[in-house]
Amino acid sequence: MEKILQLWEASGIYNISAGQVTMIAVGLLLLFLAIRKNFEPLLLVPIGFGGIMANIPEAGLAFSAVENAVHFAKPEVLQGLAASLNITSVDPHEILHAYHGSNPSTHHAATMVAADAGYSNGMLYNFYSVAIASGVAPLLIFMGVGAMTDFGPLLANPKTLFLGAAAQFGIFATVLGAVGLSAMGIMDFTVQDAAAIGIIGGADGPTAIYVASMLAPQLLGAIAVAAYSYMALVPMIQPPIMRALTTESERKIAMHQLRHVSKTEKIMFPIALLILVALLLPDAAPLLGMFCFGNLMRECGVVDRLSDTAQNALINIVTIFLGLSVGSKLSADKFLDLNTLGILLLGIVAFGIGTAAGVLMAKLMNKLEGGNAINPLIGSAGVSAVPMAARVSNKIGLEANPQNFLLMHAMGPNVAGVIGSAVAAGVMIKFVG
Amino acid sequence: MNSLISEGLNLMVYGMGFVFVFLTLLVIVTTLMSKLVNKFLPEPIVEPKAKASAPQAAGNNDELLAVLTAAVHKYRK
Repeated sequence: MEKILQLWEASGIYNISAGQVTMIAVGLLLLFLAIRKNFEPLLLVPIGFGGIMANIPEAGLAFSAVENAVHFAKPEVLQGLAASLNITSVDPHEILHAYHGSNPSTHHAATMVAADAGYSNGMLYNFYSVAIASGVAPLLIFMGVGAMTDFGPLLANPKTLFLGAAAQFGIFATVLGAVGLSAMGIMDFTVQDAAAIGIIGGADGPTAIYVASMLAPQLLGAIAVAAYSYMALVPMIQPPIMRALTTESERKIAMHQLRHVSKTEKIMFPIALLILVALLLPDAAPLLGMFCFGNLMRECGVVDRLSDTAQNALINIVTIFLGLSVGSKLSADKFLDLNTLGILLLGIVAFGIGTAAGVLMAKLMNKLEGGNAINPLIGSAGVSAVPMAARVSNKIGLEANPQNFLLMHAMGPNVAGVIGSAVAAGVMIKFVG
Repeated sequence: MNSLISEGLNLMVYGMGFVFVFLTLLVIVTTLMSKLVNKFLPEPIVEPKAKASAPQAAGNNDELLAVLTAAVHKYRK
């Protein structure tokens, strides 16, 4: 009988908390959205499943060795941990608080105490440390995106870079919104948190994860989920804004065909971009450096094997680990609070403002060039979300004029948006990191 | 509290400004690079190739057309 009782007390049903039930439901919702509604399935399937695994009671998959040791709360282990963290209290909450605020050397000492007592890091925690905390996964994804990107349309019409710049206004407007909410006492964000939330408006998953892991790791789960969900919703969020800001005749503007871009230009571009980054903004060097490297592999034509790996096999492997690691941040104690709601709300505002700023900039450029050269619809593609945003521009353009194919014209601002949001990320890290 | 807002405002003004400065420079550098490349390193010998292959292709087409016409005639009979 005692054995049965022991089994019962170690079971998930006995130990599960309301928060964990809710988070498992959130994980199932993400899986549903991915599988049935086809919302960014490549990311939401791993994220949703990781989220469910992170909330399995007693398994502690998303926790570090110390957190697991504190969870099981054996008195002698708690005492050892308190001693290693230089605090007197053995209250689990205070130990965790001291642990999270500790510097690397005491952090290490506490980890050793937990390891001596036989506790180890959870699987998802290890994935997170290797893939995201180190910054590796988002950077490798950026390399793969670079290897998939054709800068031809951008090189044929470099002015579209301005559209990619304008759309980043969404990022900074949202930062202001987030600090505004904090100043009014509705939310509680620091300026670092606000910067990480704003980056959602860049509509660029890896950039958002990279910035969040550096500036606000505790918000990473919510930020990543918001960023990828809204990227999936681009075809629903953008069109009403685009229609509201343009006139029928503007939407009908047909753009003339892009010039041919030589191979040498395509090879020179990533190198020129890298030099510019090196000279002006070294803080964006990790992101844009990997991006340029991937693109150079694609365009130089002598390392097709590497380019192929970067844009297929490697990016798939990294995506699996990135998704599971983000899922590990969906544990109940970190996700279920008012701030998450604020992040979801601010994220969609960021997206909307970015789209509007891009369209308005395109309208301005069109006016400056005589009113019949640039279709303002391509401005919305300045938020990154490659290639979804460009497809949306194309689709709305076709609705107004069935002969008008804007896809290639919209790819210019689209890839400019990737560069723009990476630059914005570098600026954020420089100013508040 | 107000310092938080002014920090946010600062971030917006400098951040947005920098993004524009950077991308403006990139526009200039790219345009310059394209001009230089097209002036000094134009696409090698694309035109002669096209000229050489064009008549040949046309010749092939004539031949092909003749064969096709013959075949169609034969089929119609």
